[in-house]
Amino acid sequence: MDLEVLIENVLNALAAGITIGCIYGLMCIGLGLIFGIMRIVNFAQGEFLMLGMFSSLYLVTGGGILAFLGPYIGPFVGALLAGPIVFAGGALVHKLLIARVSGLRTTGSLDEGHFGQLVVTLGISLILQNGGLILFGSTPQTVRTPLASSAIEVGPIYGDATVFLNKARLIACAIAIIVAVALYLLLEYTRMGKALRAAADNPTAATYMGIDTDKTYRFAFALGSGITAVAGGLMAVYLSFGPFVGLDYVIIMYSGVVLGGMGSILGAFWGGLTVGFVQQCSALVLPPQLQNAAIFVVFLMIVLLRPQGLFGRSAERA
Amino acid sequence: MRYGSAPRLKRDLTALAIVSAAYLGLSTLVSNSYYQLIMTLVPIWAMFGVSWNILSGYGGQLSFGHASFFGIGAYVVTLSLVYWHLSPWLGIPLGMVAAAAAAILIGLPTFRLKGHYFALSMLAYPLAILYFLQYLGFQEMSLPMHRDNPIEFFQFTNPHTYTFVAVAFLIAGIFVCMLVENSRFGLALLAIRQNELAAEAAGINARLWKMRALVVSGMIAAAAGGFYACVLLVVTPDSVFGMLVSAQAVVVTLFGGVASIWGPVIGAAILVPLAESLNAELGNILPGIQGVVYGVAIIGIMLASPDGLFWTIRDRFFTPKAPAPLPASLAANAPAMRPSAAGTPLLKVEGISRSFGGLRAVSGVSFEVNAGEILGIIGPNGAGKTTLFNLLNGVLASDAGKATLADETMTGKKVHNVCRMGVGRTFQVVRSFPRLPLLDNVIVGAYGAGFADAEAIASAARALERVGLADKAGVAAGQLTNKQLRLMELARALAGSPRLLLLDETLAGLGRDECDDVLDVLVRLRSEGMTVVIIEHTMHAMMRIADRFVVLDHGRVLASGLPRQVVEDRAVIEAYLGKKWAAKQDA
Amino acid sequence: MLEVTNLSVSYGGLRALTDVTLSVKEGQFVTVVGPNGAGKSTLFKTISGIVPAASGEITFMGQNLFGLPPARRAHLGIAHVPEGRQVFKTLTVRENLEMGAYPKAGQDAWHHTLDRIHTLFPILAERALQLAGTLSGGEQQMVAIGRGLACAPRLLMLDEPSMGLAPAVADTIFERVSQIHKEDGVTILLVEQRVAEALELSDHGYVLETGRMVLDGPYETLLRDDRVRKSYLGLS
Repeated sequence: MDLEVLIENVLNALAAGITIGCIYGLMCIGLGLIFGIMRIVNFAQGEFLMLGMFSSLYLVTGGGILAFLGPYIGPFVGALLAGPIVFAGGALVHKLLIARVSGLRTTGSLDEGHFGQLVVTLGISLILQNGGLILFGSTPQTVRTPLASSAIEVGPIYGDATVFLNKARLIACAIAIIVAVALYLLLEYTRMGKALRAAADNPTAATYMGIDTDKTYRFAFALGSGITAVAGGLMAVYLSFGPFVGLDYVIIMYSGVVLGGMGSILGAFWGGLTVGFVQQCSALVLPPQLQNAAIFVVFLMIVLLRPQGLFGRSAERA
Repeated sequence: MRYGSAPRLKRDLTALAIVSAAYLGLSTLVSNSYYQLIMTLVPIWAMFGVSWNILSGYGGQLSFGHASFFGIGAYVVTLSLVYWHLSPWLGIPLGMVAAAAAAILIGLPTFRLKGHYFALSMLAYPLAILYFLQYLGFQEMSLPMHRDNPIEFFQFTNPHTYTFVAVAFLIAGIFVCMLVENSRFGLALLAIRQNELAAEAAGINARLWKMRALVVSGMIAAAAGGFYACVLLVVTPDSVFGMLVSAQAVVVTLFGGVASIWGPVIGAAILVPLAESLNAELGNILPGIQGVVYGVAIIGIMLASPDGLFWTIRDRFFTPKAPAPLPASLAANAPAMRPSAAGTPLLKVEGISRSFGGLRAVSGVSFEVNAGEILGIIGPNGAGKTTLFNLLNGVLASDAGKATLADETMTGKKVHNVCRMGVGRTFQVVRSFPRLPLLDNVIVGAYGAGFADAEAIASAARALERVGLADKAGVAAGQLTNKQLRLMELARALAGSPRLLLLDETLAGLGRDECDDVLDVLVRLRSEGMTVVIIEHTMHAMMRIADRFVVLDHGRVLASGLPRQVVEDRAVIEAYLGKKWAAKQDA
Repeated sequence: MLEVTNLSVSYGGLRALTDVTLSVKEGQFVTVVGPNGAGKSTLFKTISGIVPAASGEITFMGQNLFGLPPARRAHLGIAHVPEGRQVFKTLTVRENLEMGAYPKAGQDAWHHTLDRIHTLFPILAERALQLAGTLSGGEQQMVAIGRGLACAPRLLMLDEPSMGLAPAVADTIFERVSQIHKEDGVTILLVEQRVAEALELSDHGYVLETGRMVLDGPYETLLRDDRVRKSYLGLS
């Protein structure tokens, strides 16, 4: 009897780990784009996640534009549309603020402009978190869908052990994978994607080729924000969130990106997947509050032991 | 004490006394209890900012997680009061000790990281502690009332008393900061912030100083946190370990002015009342207004004046007086130089090699340098000259071979230890502390060599004399010319009383006359018994002063010997001008 | 085609170029030689717009380049093959070349230029899908030159193509560059440390020393002039 329960718990944790892991993977790709292409440590990435969640919420509920789509399709379309909304916001943030403390302007300065970037994005994070509190209030919200409370039953597999695949999470996971693949195709095969990778690899040489690195970076920043926002919109379907939810996830995102290896966008996905997996599996043994603490410990171990991650190109350590 | 500290200290202390008296006087006029609380909080947050400043302002190690120490201080005081009835008189020092221990535990692994990895990792610690505390069930803890014993338990009936005590704490914190700033501690931190590699090459053990800074910083932060708990009488994990707490230290100091005593004070004095009043007035409609204010402040200051208000104001309105020249007697007490017997080999390099991936950057390089001679290392671009220096100096580890200085092994030692052996090094890119006087820029080299304060000042003064910059000792480095900056680098290396100088492209970018001036200094140094190895491209200069050449090409020694011979050497001509030219010469 | 007049540049706080004048006519092969630290790379960086000029003028095809952002210059037809190759290490050889063809002129002529590049450097066709960072120095140089050609340039600027290469490999590179000049009629501005090879191929040479033009003239004149050797070996 106990063995069956154990197996059921383990299998469900594995299933949850993979589905949630894929969504985390998408979230990390967004950060990976920014961190990997522009070497910018964007403190506010968690807030872009949060904005994605709230954008989807307002699109879908109440008098939102997508309310007509109903609770089965609406939340997912909302998640996807959150992307372009935050994309635009990200482009604006980059143009007005980030570009002034990064890029070609600061290469060659003492610390390559890291100080300025870190601090400015910290400021943006504070404004978005607290601004979010003002605009959205502190009541926890969710984008409600009946799919979140229904599941596909797989099994029984071993005795009575059944795996329950939550429908909402399953669909979110599928969408996350599709978006990730689409992004991969964009980066690998389109002119814009290649220009992005070139600008990341060697901005000076890219300029010699005629690539406008400023505009390219802006695109990368906006794209990274938008992708993380889509992940947020997807998470909004099964999580309850408030304006400060970003904080919980910023370390998870960085863990995933660093684990996957800075500079590797694909790596960021795998890193995120791994981190999500570890988190869900840790739920088997750890109480909820400690799960995030466990991720922090994992993060610290990664940066100390293997800072180039699994797929990374260079070690940026002391 | 640093040279010139006395007048600066006097000025700062006087200002501190005046400002504190004025502030305390103002606080007695305030009767509204909420504003009274704000007046108490300002010095507390300023003190927290001061603590952050030591590590991140002076030391340049940006930390986004100072709430760890603040929170530790708060919780130690609270828990010890609740469970052991321990008075904060003991609780606060206990918290400081706990913070020091935490600093060491945190610093040991985390200082292996730099830049953004360091900042991010520091962020993780307070959040991890926060989650842990929430797990343990510490949601909200109240400090038990002990109104009967106000002094013993820091619970005063008169709110003004809190302000007085807060200011006293702040003054103590500023005091420590002043001590740091005006001692070699401060200069070492500034050097590390400016260019950690150059600091190491000047003999500074960066890891050790960063750790010291973290411990001092943590202890001050814990004291602030401990008193904060006494003031608010309620602690929650989020209110002392939360993101906003860490951010407050950063914002207040960056806004007010990093690496200055007054920065955190100015920042706290402006931002805390602003944020708190807005919170009080508008907190109902705009619940997050505090955070927004801090966010806007910090973005504004980074875009407008990244060093903070204090420096912008000081640069704009206070023109520094013409600096007084150093008294000539200062150099008299310099520690004796240690020239080696001329003509004997001082530096022996044997078969040094280093590859990067498949590329052999330096391959089997061997040569000797005799005491009192100037050896020129030349060779086409990419020949491995700077890599060779990096190998000698300890910046890079060699794959094979070794180097000895007077028969003592150099290779395998850490950078600052190589410096202590008596090796001075300059770098291609000169980095100075633009706001500090020339003497301070130079004295770092003397600290690195382990001299005591008075000796260090004397040694730096003598070094300046030797390069001919003694009259500029008080000038801010930001106002020096290129040539003077190069000489400054040289002086910094000399201040450590080295036996061997490794100079990397000291003449780069200098015009003909400036070149000659620097060359004169080098010739003079040689006549005093100094041994110099110099990498240079300016050939006519090298011809003038080098006793011998070693020519590197593709990482190997191509030729070595007297300059006249080497430049006529066919292999050398080939390396520089190409095979066909050399062939044409033969024809 | 390219006129540089009285150019003075400060770079990294140092005076890198003082009062430099040179001119490249259409169809010419011009070389700038000079010892290390003479300012040759700075000259190219200024023409490409990465480094601003303190004073003086640069005109290309009659257009004053002052104020034109660096990324726009490639679109005018100026191709810069940088010092140290600077290939995109994490992109494949083919993708590197595609990046070279980023400007419109490059895109229009893409198929034709790709053929030409493969003819000149067959190994690039062989290794089309290999990551450029894994190639040898000589191969990377070919990628860099191919990249420069891919934008169907009017002016091809090469910054020390032989640096760090074994002499035999460098010779091959020079041969190809000469071919590009003769067969495709591309105007070439070459900067080199290896004097003889460089000057031999060119119509006109300039000698740069500590930021100043000290000598210029046609190949034969320079080759006979002992001042060149002296300048390199510090005997002047």
